[in-house]
Amino acid sequence: MSTVISPGKPGKRTAATAQAASPARLRKAGRRQQILACVTLLAPFTALLIAVFLVPVGYAIGLSLFGEDHKGLGFGGGTTVFTGLRSYLAVLDDPSFLSGFGVIALYVVIFVPVVVAGALALALFLDSGLVRLRRTAQMLLYLPHAVPGIIAAVIWLYLYTPGLSPVIKLLGQADVTVDFLGMHTVLPSIVNIALWSGLGYNMVIFYAALQALPREVIEAARIDGAGGLRTALMVKVPIIKGSVVMVCMFALIGALQLFTEPMLMNQATPMVNSRFTPNMYIYDAAFRRNNYGLASAASVILLIVTCALSYAVTRWTGRRERSAR
Amino acid sequence: MRSTRTAGAALFTILAVLMTGCSASDSSTSAGNGPVRLTFWSALRGTQEVVDEYNRIQDKVRVDYQQVPSGPQGGWAKLSNAARAGNAPDVATMEYPQLPGYAIDGVPRDITDLLPDSARRKILPQALDLTTLAGRTYAVPVDIEPMMFFYRKDVFTKYDIPVPKTWTEFESAARKLKEAQPRSRIASFFTNGSQHMAGFAWQAGGQWFRTSGDAWRISLADAPTRKVAAYWQGLVDQDLVRVEPVDSQQWRAHLQSGETVGYMAGAWAAGSLMNSTPSGKGKWAIAPLPQWDPAKPSLGTQGGSTFAVTKDSNHPKEALEFITWMVTSPDALRAKLSSGISSAFPVVPELVPVARKEMDTSYYSGQDIFGLFQESARLISPRWKWGPRMTSTITSVEDGFAKAGAGSGSIIGALREGERRTLPDLKSLGLSVTTH
Repeated sequence: MSTVISPGKPGKRTAATAQAASPARLRKAGRRQQILACVTLLAPFTALLIAVFLVPVGYAIGLSLFGEDHKGLGFGGGTTVFTGLRSYLAVLDDPSFLSGFGVIALYVVIFVPVVVAGALALALFLDSGLVRLRRTAQMLLYLPHAVPGIIAAVIWLYLYTPGLSPVIKLLGQADVTVDFLGMHTVLPSIVNIALWSGLGYNMVIFYAALQALPREVIEAARIDGAGGLRTALMVKVPIIKGSVVMVCMFALIGALQLFTEPMLMNQATPMVNSRFTPNMYIYDAAFRRNNYGLASAASVILLIVTCALSYAVTRWTGRRERSAR
Repeated sequence: MRSTRTAGAALFTILAVLMTGCSASDSSTSAGNGPVRLTFWSALRGTQEVVDEYNRIQDKVRVDYQQVPSGPQGGWAKLSNAARAGNAPDVATMEYPQLPGYAIDGVPRDITDLLPDSARRKILPQALDLTTLAGRTYAVPVDIEPMMFFYRKDVFTKYDIPVPKTWTEFESAARKLKEAQPRSRIASFFTNGSQHMAGFAWQAGGQWFRTSGDAWRISLADAPTRKVAAYWQGLVDQDLVRVEPVDSQQWRAHLQSGETVGYMAGAWAAGSLMNSTPSGKGKWAIAPLPQWDPAKPSLGTQGGSTFAVTKDSNHPKEALEFITWMVTSPDALRAKLSSGISSAFPVVPELVPVARKEMDTSYYSGQDIFGLFQESARLISPRWKWGPRMTSTITSVEDGFAKAGAGSGSIIGALREGERRTLPDLKSLGLSVTTH
């Protein structure tokens, strides 16, 4: 401990001569202030990281390696023992856990392109100067994101439920029957809920990136005779590629943690089962099957998959950027 | 540096506070010489009246009753979590299918040596068998619910359709009704009815769960179940039955409009139908469930509850006395029935006359429904066992039924998938499991 903070210790002051004392002391005081600032600024983050991430992860790993062990047929309760990887093997052997990833993959295939293309189009549109009431439009588009996910899901569920929904009623009057909660429509319905909040949020990210574009590049393009659409697609989009990759990655990670919307839909339609997504599987394992070891093992696996995917996405795009240069 | 240490200390304090918060449990022990206090959780209707009566007739024990929501997302999870935290109520209500799971989690206490023989002898042996796991008794059954066939007598008479005694007759009755009245169906295949399916499989001699030695043997698609699944698949494919969830608005609407003229459920459903469909008075009747082989009649159950003393209870003796009174005393049954109509079939045959006397059966045109239940209860096959994680098995099967109902997959496929989804759970609990 003492070696780490020794630069700031008053003991060192004896080495300084009378003449050099003043600037050196100032420098040291500056260093000390810097360290203090660093620590103060990082402390809340570190504390939160430890409290809400590292400690729970450690706890989950612990839980996943220990489990109830039962003698014979198991009646009368078990004893908690070290079970090693038993829960992990059980999770990986469970078709309903793996099918959750299939659902996520399908969700990503629908959700990510739509949300990225949509948000990008809206941002470019706002940036093009064609829109008069830019601030109002921006706020209106961002507003759905301010609605908490669970509230949005409840509202959408109301709009999806036959017999309650004014949308279905209106369509019914026009002789169109839709089942938003059917076997093949339920996933698009979930994507739709996520889209409404995701679109405005990601648009703001893209819009901010577009605002930071050097104006001379745009002017140069215009002088070269590029029209609005061409400037947008050939000049603006390639420059803000970094933001596009970031949004894709966040959407991917968000998709892996899909929970609120399907959990609520689970109450309304049997097409969303109680283990529909990996997160729902974890919830089901812990609170319906009372199997905390299994739930923890599934959580750890989900964490590893998420980390691996994020790493792969950043590595892949990084390499492509490097090779493109 | 000091600030991190302070933050660390603060964090530690917060964690410490959280932990003590979790471990602090309310104790149900009473100090001094006052009455013993028991806590009791139940989702059963009429329980408040029963508890009030018990508190009135004696002053040794005070029972504090707390109503809990029924179903997997309500009371079941609440009880599991409370038991995990070490503060389960003294007495809890458990349904038959969930009992083995709770017993594996160590929620109910082994009451084999506490339950007096006098009480044991009064209870129908088939019911007690279901609460006795590997030779030890974990709960006292309250009601046992043989499956019955509820049907619109007026419609059957109008179209001259005989009440089916066998499943073959049931299919022809279904066809005859559809021909006579194309909009009507004889019954429904319940997409959320894996417990009904279990009852049908049970009747046909199926055994979804068996134990041999120290190993569980699981087969949701054994030969009798395959026969039952194929039969219902046939009815669904020929559009002879409706496909809809039980207790849904849709199902009730069809019953009220007379488009669905029958259904199968445990005996308890007689009271439930009276409450939910008052307009059906005088039109409905109850028949025994159709049989596969009338020479060797057999039945399964659907529904029914048990009372258990929990491991956390500090007063198991008093708790069991209270349970025994609730299950065997005519006063308890009368108190329960005073709260409203219930056709739950008591496990104590001595009490059947009490229930029969209290029940006004004019809804069923004065039919002796309790006499009918009693005959059916005798036919309940004693071979059935529920599995170690039944809630999850049931939901998994129902996920598949819903899909089969929507035209993707089959009934037997849903049962097989339910089995596959149950296995990993049991393995991770350290149980030895084989499929047969």
